[in-house]
Amino acid sequence: MALDLSFSVLDGARESRVPGGRTIEEIEADFRKPGNTTFSAIFGADPFDFWLGPFYVGFWGFITIISVIIGSIFYFYGTVFQGPYSFPQNFFAGRIDPPPPEVGLGLQQAGEPGFLWQMTVLFGTIAFLGWMMREIDISKKLEMGFHVPISFAVVVSSWLTLQVIRPLALGSWSEGFVLGVMPHLDWVSNFGYRYNNFFYNPFHALGISLIFFATFLLACHGSAILSAVQTRGKNVDPEEINEFWRDVQYYSIGEAGIHRAGALAAAAGILSANLCILFSGWPVQDWVSFWDFWNSFPFWNAL
Amino acid sequence: MASEMGVPPNRIPVDLDVGGNETGHIGKPIFAKWLERLGFDAQLGPFYLGFWGALSFVCAGAFTFIWLITMAAQVGYNPVAFAKYFVVLQLEPPSAQFGLAFPPLGLGGWWLIATFFLTASILAWQVRLWERAKARGLKPYLAYGFTGAVFLYLVIYVIRPMIMQDWSEAPPHGIKGLLDWTNNVSVRYGNFYYNPFHMLSIFFLLGSTLLFSMHGATVWALEKYGAHEEEAEIDEPGTGTERAQLFWRWTMGFNANAYSIHLWAFWFAWLTGVTGAIGVLLSGTLVPDWFQWAIDARINYPQLPAVPVELPPPTP
Repeated sequence: MALDLSFSVLDGARESRVPGGRTIEEIEADFRKPGNTTFSAIFGADPFDFWLGPFYVGFWGFITIISVIIGSIFYFYGTVFQGPYSFPQNFFAGRIDPPPPEVGLGLQQAGEPGFLWQMTVLFGTIAFLGWMMREIDISKKLEMGFHVPISFAVVVSSWLTLQVIRPLALGSWSEGFVLGVMPHLDWVSNFGYRYNNFFYNPFHALGISLIFFATFLLACHGSAILSAVQTRGKNVDPEEINEFWRDVQYYSIGEAGIHRAGALAAAAGILSANLCILFSGWPVQDWVSFWDFWNSFPFWNAL
Repeated sequence: MASEMGVPPNRIPVDLDVGGNETGHIGKPIFAKWLERLGFDAQLGPFYLGFWGALSFVCAGAFTFIWLITMAAQVGYNPVAFAKYFVVLQLEPPSAQFGLAFPPLGLGGWWLIATFFLTASILAWQVRLWERAKARGLKPYLAYGFTGAVFLYLVIYVIRPMIMQDWSEAPPHGIKGLLDWTNNVSVRYGNFYYNPFHMLSIFFLLGSTLLFSMHGATVWALEKYGAHEEEAEIDEPGTGTERAQLFWRWTMGFNANAYSIHLWAFWFAWLTGVTGAIGVLLSGTLVPDWFQWAIDARINYPQLPAVPVELPPPTP
């Protein structure tokens, strides 16, 4: 059978619509229920299965908040308190460098160069993965698909590519990026020139194109909804918006399709960006001479 | 018939309807059923042409023809060489010696003519987006949004070169040429990473990607509850929108609603182009060096004095 990713709306879902909507108290009374978490599915109970104000906690929220606190202490100790300037200046200029190249993939002790970087990256990674797991818990509680945690996993994969996977591939933590507001901009800038010209990196080009495409789609989607609702009020016919798009550009992807296309374009852009980082310095040292293969095809290398 | 073609009976005549039938549309709807299996709408067309659409396509065609034929001339109209060097070939703007004057065709005149048609095509498309909304009596939000991209284009290709009194400030037409221009504009003005409007533009660009990732994934995850039927859900939120709002409230303590998320979306995407345009417009006109600017603004700092090192004696 052919691939089928279509869907149908459950009975009663449309009938649940309330003019003007319900208050947040009324909604939460329906949905704030204990149980159905990943931790309780494995261990039978989740000791952190509660809410703090609007926030859901859960086992993974507990892991996340602990990691955020410890990681932030390392980060602000390195950038702000150990920085060379005044505290407000250090917020921008402070930096935490990865270990020097001679350390390789070794682990540094407290006080050795790169220790603060390794600790911040470690707890940052735990916090990001904990946040992803917490989104899975919340999705389960609300009986949603796992599309949000999957999308978040895509951007976590960028962090892992930059700070873990590529340093492992090249055999040195020194390949990770510098932590700090302005220093990380310098790192990005230098990274491009280190491989000669990052604009010639095809995965960089594809990643940028897809990210611009996602932004373009977002403008299209936001403006379509705003124009429909602000003009028609409650008498909107969604087919009218489809017809507007067909007038303008021959095709309307539809109200469900645009959300799928937007999420996919955003994720694809980030995944392509991962490849553009991973391939720099590992198989490819120079994105200009990388294109030599193009000129040396046998059918036109004499030209 | 009119309603079949998707035109409401009270439509306002704002265009010449230069299409195939009485409503100015071209073609009959085509249904590609396989698109439904992806969750996408299956209908393609009919398309509206109109005067502004026709003008836009004619100008875009003229630009494309001049661009391709001048590049083909550079390789002696050899098709294999054209394919081999397609990404490297470029139609260059006039060199700096001509200023804003009209140079000989081979020395940038074709660039000026091509850029005129490209600009006319983009502006005609801008009018088309406006009149297509007006014809349906809709607020022209898509035209508002497109102004962000048009402003960025005009600043790069027209406004800033005119302020600098020099067409050579504009990018060439060509794939490698455009990438090189982008690279060089950063180097010439002391590193664009220190340009605060470049920072803002990147913030809004990546922010737009993040927003669509969040919004798109949330609605995708709630299709079975009808959350994608946003026009209905804005007026009468149902269980799908309630779950979407609770998801973000529980995750980050704050949530938009089915209406306000689209305000966030529109402004983030629009500001990407506008802040980027301001960043380019200031470079070389008011700010010669963004690195020095960042030092003066106290967000970047000159390097700390280097530890004195003993230099080896000069070789005789």
